[in-house]
This record gives sequence, structure tokens and C-alpha cells, in this order.
Amino acid sequence: MIEFQHVTKQYSKDAIALSDVSFTIGKGELVFLAGPSGAGKSTVLNMIAAVERPSSGTILVNSQNVGKLKSSGLPYLRRNIGLILQQQRLLYDRDVITNVMLPLIVCGAVPSDAEKRARAALDKVGMLDKAFWLPMSLSGGEQQRVSIARAIVNRPQIILADEPTANLDRVSADQVLSALKAFHSVGVTCIISSHDEQFLDSANHVIYLAKGKVVDHWEDLSPCRELS
Amino acid sequence: MKTLFRQHVFAFRVSLRHFFSPRSGFFLNVLVVAIALSLPFAGLTVLENVRPISEQLSVEPEISIFFSLETPRESVKAAEPQIMQILQETHSYGKLEFVSRENALTKLQDKSGMSDAVSALGGNPLPDAYVLRLAGFDNLAEAHRIDTIASQLQALPGVDLVQVDSAWVKRLSALLHLMRLSLLFLAATLGVVVIAVVFNTIRLQVMSQREEIEVSRLVGATDAFIYRPFFYTGALLGLCAGGLALGAVAITLQPLNQAIADFARLYASEFQLTPLGIVPTIAMLIMSAGLGLAGSLLSVQRHLARLR
Repeated sequence: MIEFQHVTKQYSKDAIALSDVSFTIGKGELVFLAGPSGAGKSTVLNMIAAVERPSSGTILVNSQNVGKLKSSGLPYLRRNIGLILQQQRLLYDRDVITNVMLPLIVCGAVPSDAEKRARAALDKVGMLDKAFWLPMSLSGGEQQRVSIARAIVNRPQIILADEPTANLDRVSADQVLSALKAFHSVGVTCIISSHDEQFLDSANHVIYLAKGKVVDHWEDLSPCRELS
Repeated sequence: MKTLFRQHVFAFRVSLRHFFSPRSGFFLNVLVVAIALSLPFAGLTVLENVRPISEQLSVEPEISIFFSLETPRESVKAAEPQIMQILQETHSYGKLEFVSRENALTKLQDKSGMSDAVSALGGNPLPDAYVLRLAGFDNLAEAHRIDTIASQLQALPGVDLVQVDSAWVKRLSALLHLMRLSLLFLAATLGVVVIAVVFNTIRLQVMSQREEIEVSRLVGATDAFIYRPFFYTGALLGLCAGGLALGAVAITLQPLNQAIADFARLYASEFQLTPLGIVPTIAMLIMSAGLGLAGSLLSVQRHLARLR
């Protein structure tokens, strides 16, 4: 589903974010990108969503070479990807439901259908009762759940979560984790970059990055966990 | 097709939201653009009002052919077929009227009320003449043909003076042409001003909605989806400003017309300035919206490309 082949990302001569990174992520996996700050975790996620392009190497998402994708093709790639960011990047002058409806509206959905689906997505993350609140009046954890609802509302094949539990208390972090697990359980590929080791217990594929390189790589963890 | 329509409706709604947002200062921008547009609109209104008068004046130009006092009546009469031939040669036609020196004197005495003064002259100082009323001249652009006829008439034997009565019409035509050119120049200059104002307005909107644009891109919005509301905003700005400018010009005509009526009455005229007709009004509104659209197009291409 997602394949990195000798991917390097270099911003300048001395600033190398990723260096010769290769890995493959299968459909329906729950992948945990681990590593210290500056290891290149966010860069990996940004490259999958084509927010950044590789300096060299190939990135395949659903057999599509993301690095060579024309800018006109990017929106259609991103419509299959749900993005959850540490800074939720909600529109603070719109209510919660309008924020969640946005990915559907950009695809040209009928507003009434979009609202119905947004309500369903908010219900899944336990935020339906606050659908008409402004994001500013929500807690950090609630805002993150809204951003999860926005990420899943158009039923993406892939969810990319960049530090989704950073700055959240334990209870909020658990709610976010439960939501992500729920989507994984219905076959969505989830790639989570985090310092939060709680994700390790749920992940069936762990990629450990350090200084822009893959240091460790564990696949098919679920059977081992079941045995233990 | 339905999806595209829906997206246009959405873009229009977003642009309306920009329009009524208290932070956008949109009405101030509309006012600035309206002021810039009102000058060429006012000029156009005046030109459109004067144009029919100038056209009417030029329909039947007159040429007066005065013979010298020594020319015998028979020679003057003999010139008639020659005049008609000149008309034929220049592919013109018109009505030729002979005005004898006696008739001319009588008319002068009747008209001027100076019969005593004319009688005091002791004789008739007026020559025999022909008045040639040319027909088939639709516009002032054909004035050069009158000059050709006049110069050929001047060459006829016994002719002392050929007076083209449309000379002042030509001067008016030249003046109107100059006004039209000035108006065009003014309109072009102010058009650039309008584009610059819209450009800056949209630039500020792009900057204030930077987050929304970036988020929309992340969730799969196409460039067209992002650009469209700004295009509508620019066009709406131009349209509203155009409407405001046309309204302001129409309102200004009312007090102006009172002054014009007083002036025109001195010349036994009922001339009044009227607002632009429905077709020019629609054309001006479309042009205003077009200018707004052009400003937003330039701004969006420049600033959203930077954001990317």
C-alpha cells in the first residue's frame, strides 16, 4: 500500500531530514513511527501526504509515485488520506460540524449529505453533542477528537496521525487512541508518529527512526503479542 | 455538472461571507472603487448625451456658393448644371436652391429688422448665391467629402466664396473625438486603479485566510476550489462599485440638470442630461465586474502560488 524506496529528504547541505529510508506498509496495518524529536517521523508522514517531496528515492502510495505526482493530482491523493496533526489546524471561526464537513464539501458533496456524514463521524469520536460549538470553547483533547472526525469523515484508506496525543492528558490521549484503534479495526491503514509508547501495545508494525534513518523495524507484532 | 454547480454555489456563499465580514473593510473598498469608476462613468454619460445632438447636426450639411457681384445672372444660372455634375462625380446628392441677390436682401431686411440700415446702403451689396443642402451624410466621418465638393465648387467660374456651414460641426466633432480619447485614457488609468485596489483587497483576504487555504489543501481541495471564492469576491466588489458609481452619477445629474436647463433656455433648447440607458448600464456593470475579476485573478495567482 505504501512503499518507501531509498528515500532521502535534504533541505540544505547540512539539513538532512531522511537518509536512504526504505520500508513497506501493507493495507490495514497499524504502524507506529517511533523515535526521538528530529528523527524524521513528521517528514515521513508529510511525504506520504505529498506535503513534501523527496529529494531522491521513490514513494509509492497505492502504486502511485507521490514524488512525481503533478500538483493537479495532489488533491485526489489527499482525499484518500485522513490527516491528524499535533496542532489540530481547525478553523476557529467555524463551528465543529463545519470543520468536519470541509473534506466532503471540497469533494463537492451535497451539503445535507455532508452534514449527515459529519454528524456520524462526530458521533464516532463522542463529539456529536458539541457539533455547533466553536473549537475555541473545546479542550485540547476534544479539539483533537474533532480533527480525527474530520480525518475520517470521507472514509479514507489511510490515516496519518502526527503526534496525536501530544499536549493531551492521559484520559484525552486514551480517547484518541481508542478512536484510532476503532478505525484500524475496520481495515483502515493507520500510521501514527508519537513519543507516546502506549501506541506500541496496539501497533502491529513499528518503525524506529533516528537521525533520519530507519534504525529498527518490527513487523507482524500482533501474533507475538497474542502468544505472549 | 451538479458537483461543479454546487461548488460554485459554495464559493459564492463564501465570497458573500467575505463581503459581509466586518473585518474585511469591504464596503470601504467598494467605495474607493466606486469613486474611481464614477469619473469615467460621468464622462461617458455626458458623451452619450451630446452624441445624438452632434449626429443630428451633421445630417444635412449646407454649402453656400456666393458668386461675385460682377457675375451676370445668366452665368450664375449656367453654373447650376455644373454644380449638379460635381455632386454626381463625388457620388453625392442634395437639394440645390438658388437665392437671388434680391431675395437675399429681402430676407435680410425681414430677419434682421435693419431695413432702414440696409436701405441707407443705397444699393444691394449681396451677391447671387446657391444653397446646397447635402443629403446622405450619416455621420461626421464623411466630412472630408464635403471638403472635396467645396473645393470643386470654388473652382467654378464666377464663384467668389464657398462657405461650408458644417465647419463648426466638424469642430464639435473634433472636440467630441478629443473628449472620447481623453475619456478612454481616463478610463484606462482608473481601470488600472480599480485592478490595483481589488488586487490589494484580495491579497489581504488571502493572507487573512491563509490557515483556511492550507487546511483546505490538506483535506484535498483543488486549486479551482480555493481560487473560486476570491474570484467571486473580486467580481462582486467590481459589480457593487459599478452599481454605486452609476447610481451616484444618476443622482448627481438631478441638480446639474437644473443649472443646464437655465443655460439651455437661453438658446431656446430643452437639453437635459439623462442617465445611461439600460444597455450601456449593463455593459458598464459587466465591465466593472470584469475589472474586479481581473484584479482578483492577478492577486490570487500571485499570492496563492506563494502559499503553495
